[in-house]
Amino acid sequence: MTLALIPLLPLLGAFIPCLFHNRNLNAASAGVIAGFSLLLLLLQAPAVFTGEMPLYTRSWIPAMGLTFAFRASGFGFLFALLVLGIGLLIILYARYYIAKEDPMGRFYTYLLFFMGSMLGIVLSENLLLLMVFWELTSISSFLLIGFWRHRADARQGAFMALVITGGGGFAMLAGFLLLGHIAGSFELSTVLTAKETVHAHPLYPVTLILILVGAFTKSAQFPFQFWLPHAMAAPTPVSAFLHSATMVKAGVFLLALLVPVLGGSALWFYLVTLTGLITLMFAAYMAMFKDDLKGLLAYSTVSHLGLITLLLGLGTPLAVFAAVFHIFNHAAFKAGLFMLAGIIDHETGTRDIQRLSGLKKAMPVTAVLTLIGCGAMAGVPLFNGFLSKEMFLAETLGPGLTGAMGWIVPLGSTLAAVFAVAYSIRMLHGVFCGKPAEDLPGSPHEPPAGMTLSPAFLMAVCVLVGIFPAFFAGPLVNAGAGAILGPDMPDYHMAVWHGFNMALVLSIIALAGGVIFYLQRQKLFDAHLWFLRYLDGKTLFESLVSGLVQAGYRAIRFLENGSLQRYLFVLISVTLVLGAVPFAVSRTPLLGPVAATPVDPVTLVMGLILIIGAVATVKTHRNRILSIIMLSTVGLVVSLAFTRFSAPDLALTQISVEVVTIILLMMALHLLPTTTPKESSKARQRRDGLLAVLAGGGAAALAMAILTRPYDTISDFFLAHSVPGGGGTNVVNVILVDFRGFDTMGEITVLAIAGLIIYALLHGFERKAPETDDMGHPWTKDRFPMILAYITRPLLPLALLFSAYIFLRGHNDPGGGFIAGLITATVLTLQYIASGIVWTRPRLNFDNHIIMALGLILALGTGLTSWALNYPFLTSTYKYFKLPLIGKFELASAMVFDMGVFLVVVGSVMLMLVKLGSINSEDARTVSTSTHLDETMEDETIEKETH
Amino acid sequence: MINHLIVGPLLLPLLVGTVIVLNTNQPIARLRILGLSSCLAVLVMAGILLFQSAQGPIQSYVLGDWPTPFGIVMVLDRLSAMMLFITALLALLCLAYAARGTDRQGKNFHALFQFQLLGINGAFLTGDIFNLFVFFEIMLLSSYGLVLHGGGNRRTRAGMHYVMLNLVGSSIFLVGVGILYSLLGTLNMADLAVRMSQAPAENAALLQAAGLILFAVFALKAALLPLCFWLPDAYGFTSAPVAALFAVMTKVGVYVILRVYCLIFSEFAGVGANLLSAWLLPAALITLAAGTAGVAGSRDLRRITAYLVIVSVGTLLAVIGTFQREAIAAAIVYLPHTTLMTAGMFLVADLIQRQRPDAGSGLTPDRPVGQPTLLGLLFLAAAVAIAGLPPLSGFFAKVMMLMTVKDNAGAPWIWGMVLGGGLLTLMALGRAGSVIFWKLLPGDDPETGPENTRDSGPVYALADLFPAAALLAISPLLVLFGGMITEFAFAAADHVINPVHYIEAVLGPDRSLPLLYPSGGE
Amino acid sequence: MEWLVSACFGVMIACGVYLVLRARTFPVILGLTLMGYAVNLFLFLTGRLTTNLPDIISGNQTRYADPLPQALVLTAIVIGFAMIAFVVVLSLRALGELDTDHVDGQQEKPPS
Repeated sequence: MTLALIPLLPLLGAFIPCLFHNRNLNAASAGVIAGFSLLLLLLQAPAVFTGEMPLYTRSWIPAMGLTFAFRASGFGFLFALLVLGIGLLIILYARYYIAKEDPMGRFYTYLLFFMGSMLGIVLSENLLLLMVFWELTSISSFLLIGFWRHRADARQGAFMALVITGGGGFAMLAGFLLLGHIAGSFELSTVLTAKETVHAHPLYPVTLILILVGAFTKSAQFPFQFWLPHAMAAPTPVSAFLHSATMVKAGVFLLALLVPVLGGSALWFYLVTLTGLITLMFAAYMAMFKDDLKGLLAYSTVSHLGLITLLLGLGTPLAVFAAVFHIFNHAAFKAGLFMLAGIIDHETGTRDIQRLSGLKKAMPVTAVLTLIGCGAMAGVPLFNGFLSKEMFLAETLGPGLTGAMGWIVPLGSTLAAVFAVAYSIRMLHGVFCGKPAEDLPGSPHEPPAGMTLSPAFLMAVCVLVGIFPAFFAGPLVNAGAGAILGPDMPDYHMAVWHGFNMALVLSIIALAGGVIFYLQRQKLFDAHLWFLRYLDGKTLFESLVSGLVQAGYRAIRFLENGSLQRYLFVLISVTLVLGAVPFAVSRTPLLGPVAATPVDPVTLVMGLILIIGAVATVKTHRNRILSIIMLSTVGLVVSLAFTRFSAPDLALTQISVEVVTIILLMMALHLLPTTTPKESSKARQRRDGLLAVLAGGGAAALAMAILTRPYDTISDFFLAHSVPGGGGTNVVNVILVDFRGFDTMGEITVLAIAGLIIYALLHGFERKAPETDDMGHPWTKDRFPMILAYITRPLLPLALLFSAYIFLRGHNDPGGGFIAGLITATVLTLQYIASGIVWTRPRLNFDNHIIMALGLILALGTGLTSWALNYPFLTSTYKYFKLPLIGKFELASAMVFDMGVFLVVVGSVMLMLVKLGSINSEDARTVSTSTHLDETMEDETIEKETH
Repeated sequence: MINHLIVGPLLLPLLVGTVIVLNTNQPIARLRILGLSSCLAVLVMAGILLFQSAQGPIQSYVLGDWPTPFGIVMVLDRLSAMMLFITALLALLCLAYAARGTDRQGKNFHALFQFQLLGINGAFLTGDIFNLFVFFEIMLLSSYGLVLHGGGNRRTRAGMHYVMLNLVGSSIFLVGVGILYSLLGTLNMADLAVRMSQAPAENAALLQAAGLILFAVFALKAALLPLCFWLPDAYGFTSAPVAALFAVMTKVGVYVILRVYCLIFSEFAGVGANLLSAWLLPAALITLAAGTAGVAGSRDLRRITAYLVIVSVGTLLAVIGTFQREAIAAAIVYLPHTTLMTAGMFLVADLIQRQRPDAGSGLTPDRPVGQPTLLGLLFLAAAVAIAGLPPLSGFFAKVMMLMTVKDNAGAPWIWGMVLGGGLLTLMALGRAGSVIFWKLLPGDDPETGPENTRDSGPVYALADLFPAAALLAISPLLVLFGGMITEFAFAAADHVINPVHYIEAVLGPDRSLPLLYPSGGE
Repeated sequence: MEWLVSACFGVMIACGVYLVLRARTFPVILGLTLMGYAVNLFLFLTGRLTTNLPDIISGNQTRYADPLPQALVLTAIVIGFAMIAFVVVLSLRALGELDTDHVDGQQEKPPS
């Protein structure tokens, strides 16, 4: 558990520094957490140095092969020590660096968050777990680079880093999944031993490339290197910590970790070595031209990462050993140099080498420390950088490199070393030597001791390791490299002096060449500055991103063009195609074996009327009133068809719905334009016509296919049980209120919702009906014809009686709650039409909301009573009673349900029609002033609420 | 013993919705209490049902006590139980958000919200294809009302498209159901599955046509390309809590596709066997591509989120399109994550929008939001979860999906699209976040930052932020209990992919036999 | 008879589709209504064409019309009615708010 706590402590404790408003407490709390984590890490040291590997495993998501498992290999230990050690120094340094105006608590929160993630990467035993921490570093790095949120360069740098490293992470995830799939496990202990299996697998190249993309993006290898210099928009402690010492090393960490399983193939060798070499040279070259101290250090970092990558590409035991050693050395001197650059910036107000000069007087300590750092960076003997660099140069001359690689690699490496010397001298000489600068934004002086302490410590390490490598770095590097190499661990003795050999010659060439390059720098500048700006990937990246955004935008504008006509066209076409494909593929006959019955003349005439009516609806659709009449013909014939084919219930329903629908359309038409303008082009009409004909033809064929096929149905059950089980001889009604009563329950809910929405939509909506129709003919002033009024008023009780009759007989004969409800609603509506709202409203004064809701509750309540008897919802019962005069009388629970249906229908239809009828602003206003109404009261309540 | 609890998530919203209608004139506080307590109660019931389903077999509840397949039946299996639970959770939080003011922008919000819940839950529970139609209509009609809630030109226009497309869709649905009934003579989905497996070859084309016509409708509901373009406007312009709730509506389409094509058109379905296996994966992949393009190309956070809904549907259906048990399990893991997180993003986008009076949720600089730390944190959490970055649930769901489809022939496509889509999503959200939270107005000083003195919208109380925060807080829980959840998902997938369990639970053990032994042998 | 009924169904669908594809709300509503009629008829047809058969149970009758599709059509009619009523009102509302009865709320293509 202590092992798991090392990364978890900073992760879970990350929020703590945010809690304080005191800068010392911010820093101290972060320091304590990191320190505690370091302590836990050091507890592992005895085991690690004796070659053991402490493991901690807990099951997490077995189905994915994800375990909560940590390991402390020598290599992981080395890395964790760097993370925590340098991390602590950074925490101290940042306390002085971060300005008063900046939110320091948040800074330390991000920093701890990052620290935990990084520790997670280096200590994970499970590849997926490693992946989790990997992407966490992308997120924390995004937040840290964007710390100065209002600066454009910070925003862009953060975004770029996120997309490149996060995106690379996605590739690596794919690679890990394949690797785990091939190796049969995500546990590193298993994966690392599966070299043969992995190399033999056909997916090995894909796996390797995906993982390399992940590692290269994180470690800023060519061609992804450009994000790192732009990440320098982060506060300097962040650059020192993440972008030189730790996070960017995650990529090379991973490469080194996976050398035992992925390395050793030609593909690995060429990909990794060449990428490393190109990065090494390119970045070292770029570094020479950077005027910004942090920019110089950033390119130098990229270059050194290339160096380590190159070593890992070579893959020989000594190369791996050198890589591990250089990781350690580079972390020490580069983190220190960044902090020194930060000090210079902090005290002088600029990082521009062109402006800075002669600082050694004012800042002697800083100058000495920078001298050490630059010495190490350039590979000067007696500093740690020299040792690993010499090992590197020796390896480039190794016997493994044959053919063209045999001279390309050493030549390139030496050249890069020359550049490195040149930019190191530039940093040191340009800033500290020469005449003291005059016009600096700040007055140069030594920083507070707390700020110098951290770089001083690191520079001390550089010197000590540089002089006594075996004592100060030996055990650590041995343990680290040993963990990777296992039995292949070379027997190498670290020492300052290895005798006079080829590597030393190259080192000397590099030093001498570097000095010459520096002295001749002005010529170089003149020759190369003009194309340098093309070498920054930022422009390319940004045009790529904006290109993607543009492409996405255009694609979407093209697809989602906001035209309903297009969407409907697509929907109908898709349906048509989907419906047609099975016939096209299987070639089964369209028609079935059942013979068609003959047509009788009456039906034929009715059919023709229907067809004519439908076509006429289309033909006349510009003249809206006429088309409504045509449409009603169709509806009428359909209901006649239901009668013709033994469905009286349907006929009754259809006809009453028909009436209400037409009323509705007429009412709407009163407010809508009465004609439709001609808009569609001929081509569009033809296109739509074609689709319509195809859809119609398909539909007809479908109907024919069905009608000529035999079937058997569950309906026999309904016929058999309707009387004994449901207590009704009208099977359709019994199905509606009993067998499938739940459908009806839903259906009346739909009706009620429609009532509600229509009411809500029309609420507060006023529109004055035009005085004339579109042709300019005035509407009749006689709004409520006398005759109609005097016919409808006495009709009302009669009609209500009729609907009661329809309702009661429903269970046994055509009829029922729905039809009765529609009839009632229709006659009530007729009163409004005939006599106007002003007259009718006060006389039919009930709230339709309440009627509707009561109906729903009645239906629901009927269903729920069966619970009391422990039957499922809606279980029905019925009983026959003998009543005097009437005779045998049936009372079925289903009838109560039907009563609910009746009420919902009446309530909701009235709600719709009355509300619709009162839109016409003239009417509405008269109403609201003349009578007491539920609605106006409602308005008041709503108003009170909102104010 | 009849388990009446199964219909609880239907009857309670219906009852409460009706009671709210009766109380229309009461103060809104009372309606809020009614609505919220209903949602809470449904959540509790769904929780119990989820627990029951995880422990035991599939349960069925026959309404009206008629024997199946004659009566309408509700079926509770693990998948439907999970969907109920997600819906209830989402509904509660969305309503809590709406109760901070959205519900006052028009009439009948609370009643419609309950009916919406009824419709969605019904679609998850019903085992009858015509009853499914009825619940679809309840769901759609209430959603029409909710989409239009609050009014405004853009809402009306987007709502009209949504409504009219779905009305045509409803007609198509009835045609599909009609064909099925006309040849198989039944409406019960389990019975349909049995009868489908015995259908004669001469009906093959017709039955397949029925299945594919229904697919067109479900694809419209789920928002699959090319039937998805009603969604960005409808979700982008409606009120935030409604858009958030609707994150689960497209999942109804996904759920029904999973249900119908793993049951009625399963591998055992004779002439209708494996109907969608050639269609679903390609359709889902192009949907994913189009959704990603929309995410990358949108210039407004609300619209980005709307397109994220399309991405999430595309991802889900691509994985489901392999019709493999493990992949379906992975989809079941991904489903709650993607639903709740996109919903959370809708709420976060709204919170941001209201504190940016000029730019709203558009990706142009505006004065800084009033509560940058809180909103930034919420946005970050939502973005990390949605882009599929660790440590939140998106990452784990994505990993599981990628892993489970790896043996499928379409795996390279799915991997490429899901990972590439993830990268573009990351890019789009990263860009959105940096513009909204970091970018300065042209007049601001780049060194000292924005002037904070200007007024920037309302200051949120804890209750305003709570629903969004709670939704996002589910993500780490999904991760923490990942082991349990994946186990549940595998068990749920077992029941989904093998129709025999469902048929036995609905029709009894004898009726599933023809499915297993189509020749009538043994 | 079957031919005639199928033709009627097909013509209604064709006319419905054509109207639904128009640019103004009113013809679209007409089209939706027409499609509704057509689909109800189709649903009814799934019980096949039965002439002169009762659907009320009486003692001496052995053949009946299939009652189930009829019940379904009834439900569908009601739901269809609710939908049409709603869409009529929605189009009114749209006219009021957008000041046009174009289905896209404006004559020209909407801007970005």
